[in-house]
Amino acid sequence: MLIFDELKKNDPQLRLVAVVLASGLAVLLAGLWWVQIVSAREYESHLETQSYRTVRIPAVRGKILDRNGRVLAENHPQYNLGLYLDDLRKQFDAAYGQSLARMRTVQEQRIAAEEKKLGHPLTKVERRQFALTPEQREQLHEQARFRVASDVVRQVSERLGQPLQLNAAVFDRHYEARRALPYPLLTNLDNTQIARFEEQYTGTLGLNLDLQPVRIYPFGKTAGHLLGYLQRDDSSKQGEDAYFNYYLPDYRGMVGIEAGCDAELRGRAGTEAVLVNNLGYRQSVNILNPSEPGQNVVLTLDMDIEEAATQSLERQQGADVRAAVVVMDVRTGDVLAMVSSPSVDPDYAANDPAYLADPKLRPQINRATQENYAPGSIFKPIVGLAALEAGLDPNAIVDNPGYVYVGRRHITDLAPPGQYNLRRAIIFSSNTYFITVGLRAGIENLVRMAEKFHFGERTGLPTRQETPGIFPTSKQVSSTDWHDGDSANICIGQGEMAVTPMQMAVAYAAIANGGTILWPRLVERIEPQGPASGEAVINYPTAVVRDHLGVDARHLKILRDAMLAETQEGTGQAAQVAGLQICGKTGTAQVMNSRNQEIDRTTWFASFAPYENPRYAVVVMMEGRTFWGATCAAIAHDIYGEIVKKANPGAPKNLARAN
Amino acid sequence: MSTTLLNQEHHERFDRLQLAALVGLMIIGTLFVYSATMANPVMAAVPWYDQAWLRQLVWYALGIGAGAALCLLDYHILARWSFVAYWATIFCLFVVLIPHIGSMRFGARRWIDLGPFQFQPSEFAKLAFILALAHFLSRPADELRLPGNFWKGIGLLLLPFALTLKEPDLGSALVLLPTGLVMMYVAGTPKRYLLKLVGAVGLLAALFLVDVVFVPPGWWQISMEPYQRDRLLVYFGRNYTDFASPNAAPAQLQRLRQQQLDDAYNVRQALISVGSGGLTGKGWRQGTQNALGYLPRAVAHNDFIFSVIAEEEGFVGSLLVLALYALVLFTGLRIAGQARDRLGRLVAVGVVTLIFSHVFINIGMNIRIMPVTGVPLPLLSYGGSSVLGSLIAVGLMQNVHIYRKGY
Repeated sequence: MLIFDELKKNDPQLRLVAVVLASGLAVLLAGLWWVQIVSAREYESHLETQSYRTVRIPAVRGKILDRNGRVLAENHPQYNLGLYLDDLRKQFDAAYGQSLARMRTVQEQRIAAEEKKLGHPLTKVERRQFALTPEQREQLHEQARFRVASDVVRQVSERLGQPLQLNAAVFDRHYEARRALPYPLLTNLDNTQIARFEEQYTGTLGLNLDLQPVRIYPFGKTAGHLLGYLQRDDSSKQGEDAYFNYYLPDYRGMVGIEAGCDAELRGRAGTEAVLVNNLGYRQSVNILNPSEPGQNVVLTLDMDIEEAATQSLERQQGADVRAAVVVMDVRTGDVLAMVSSPSVDPDYAANDPAYLADPKLRPQINRATQENYAPGSIFKPIVGLAALEAGLDPNAIVDNPGYVYVGRRHITDLAPPGQYNLRRAIIFSSNTYFITVGLRAGIENLVRMAEKFHFGERTGLPTRQETPGIFPTSKQVSSTDWHDGDSANICIGQGEMAVTPMQMAVAYAAIANGGTILWPRLVERIEPQGPASGEAVINYPTAVVRDHLGVDARHLKILRDAMLAETQEGTGQAAQVAGLQICGKTGTAQVMNSRNQEIDRTTWFASFAPYENPRYAVVVMMEGRTFWGATCAAIAHDIYGEIVKKANPGAPKNLARAN
Repeated sequence: MSTTLLNQEHHERFDRLQLAALVGLMIIGTLFVYSATMANPVMAAVPWYDQAWLRQLVWYALGIGAGAALCLLDYHILARWSFVAYWATIFCLFVVLIPHIGSMRFGARRWIDLGPFQFQPSEFAKLAFILALAHFLSRPADELRLPGNFWKGIGLLLLPFALTLKEPDLGSALVLLPTGLVMMYVAGTPKRYLLKLVGAVGLLAALFLVDVVFVPPGWWQISMEPYQRDRLLVYFGRNYTDFASPNAAPAQLQRLRQQQLDDAYNVRQALISVGSGGLTGKGWRQGTQNALGYLPRAVAHNDFIFSVIAEEEGFVGSLLVLALYALVLFTGLRIAGQARDRLGRLVAVGVVTLIFSHVFINIGMNIRIMPVTGVPLPLLSYGGSSVLGSLIAVGLMQNVHIYRKGY
């Protein structure tokens, strides 16, 4: 209406001025509309990128537990003392002011000296050379900051009774690159230090305790291979924010359960936004995206058995023995123990690197699943089974002169010369008998049987430590390159084949349970860390059948009877435990080099018990030329002893029978 | 005389709508000077009686007093003394350039130190200039056709313009140009003179800008303060490195790039403040740009107060500020239209154009449609001289209204 008043008056000059003013205001209005309405989001994002620093907050890693709830891996709070730079700003500025004043006094003196020399007051231009350069100022700033921080550190050092030193270069790098985060002064405070700090420093500016979870393994090296280890890895996985300004330490499992179940254990990292001012100091902190804790992994392992096996190996053969033990529940496929020696510490940094790199001991490999071994005589029951299925009469006699010829090759038989049926052949582990019946049954039948046992295939554990082993295929054995000598080697568990202790446990479990090949199960369930979280528990199914042997139950019984006799009368006697009838088979395989010289031996004891109603399969393997079957059987003895003790703590002698 | 003017019965003589708008602006000014300064811990630590918002209030009171005092005298009497005021301010503008009298701040000599406070003669030179030019142009229209009178008018304009430019205070100098031009136009100066003048000014400005923005070093360049050149380069989006000598070392180029970033910093932060305010803003004292110090603290409460308002109150707040200024400006034009004579009309138009120029340049630089020049936002920016000057200018306008036709 104001403009219209002017228009009515027919005052052209004022009307033009009004139009110019109105259009000027309209331009401003349009500009504001463009900036504040149309481009608002763009400027908001500018605002965020310049004033927020995001920090990746790793989730609390899940625990690893055994089947009875005993903790194999968990997190302990570690208290770190952090220096909060934003709280020290005023002191930084004050210290800088002091050094600047001191510097100026020095400069004034120099100017005065110069003036005295020249005999006249300095001109402006001459004075300029005494002015501080920006570099000098920056250096003063840096020194002032370091002085203030060192003062704080010295006080803390005195009060906590812990010598502390502030490294100027490290401190300055932190200031430049990570100003919004506290400077780590002292990591892993012990209880006394925490108490002293809480007494003297609560509420003091500039210092605070930060909590950082650290992975600990309460059983130390026990089951170390199986657990695997973690490595620092801050990268984001799917479903998390991808880019951060800062990363707090996070870890990823490299091998073992830590790797196989890494996705479940690790949880989902969260995001913390640190609001910073124009100088990059921390202003406030808020959680944009809370982290989701990882889940607990409950293993099928029984730590009593695992420890018994580990300790037995160490006690009888020392810590450096190259050996493996697998204990499996033959009805469910549950892995109750899996030991590999020499052991490694899952806290990877605690291992001696030179020891880890030892070319003979090779502590890093999990010998239970990760290395190929010739099974030797413990493969003979499987040869026997193939022969029985092919029509072998178990009572038929094979004459053993103490050697056997295959073609022109002479193979000695360590079993005493004489007449052998299947039972006797298993007890005395006669090469002659098994080569004879094996060749008679034909290598094709052997290969078919081995295929049902799934030799040469992985057992599907999540530990990323598995080798499939080696077994010839029917195509290989039907080729012209395949000779009877090769078949004869297979008949005594040598030559073109290799197994892992885990595969042998699965095979013996099948003989024990009536012919079912099971998938070994290592993870029982995955459950949320907090019961209140409402997340579902994932149970992994038990007794998952991989294959059926489809053999005559009587044939399996013949084998079981013979293997029971082996531990009662034969080389496996060392395994005997009062109150438990054990079926077993010892074996020794030669490890040859390329010139066919023996360089090492693999010694075995594969077994299951109780005879009447088998429940446990125990496979013990050792590498080394000084061992023989009984050495391994003695380890199995300790393991069965522990099993018996566990099954009936009140009356240890009779427990196992109840099964 | 004073008693009659302040009498109740004469109260309606003031333009109440304009006064209401002014009061609105002063309230907003106090609130946001408070918001802009209290976010700064150093400023917030100052005792309450020494704080910026209170000082601003005191200046408002002094300004209102001065404006009201001016209303006591008929503007004809004031106009008779206008040349005295004009030459007095010209004298001050000279004096301020003398090194030991004018005090240096931010590389410009704009202030005269009077002990407890400092004053900026250019703020008062603007007013004296308006009054003097109005007095000069209020002669009969026929006389304005004489070229001599035209050139005298131009001289009146150029003298304070050149002196202010020399301080240097480009912004204050620039606002004189449209003010003078509009007054001459409204006074009825013949079109051909004005067109020539506008053409000449335009040509000079264009040559000036081309010289500054496009001419590489080594050629003839207008001498000006480096920061002024930089501001213009920033505004026109030119790279500093284009102006380096051809054999400059990489380190020097890098330094120039960094300097460009630093120089563009204010503009960029002001834009982020205004833009991130969005429609409704973040709320009074909730603006993070200001609180976290991204908006430089030295200017947040004066030249860039609009960024603080726009960030905290959003587009709605910006609209309110614009609306209040529109009220002041158009009531001013109404006063001009109702003025008793050409003198009053010219004084009102001069004040309106001056305020408008300030508002346009200041808000414009906050949203990057104008280059950065140190022009305060009338009544909102913190600063005694600016507040006093604005209120005295408004007082002049009200004076014209009080002695309008029919009174």
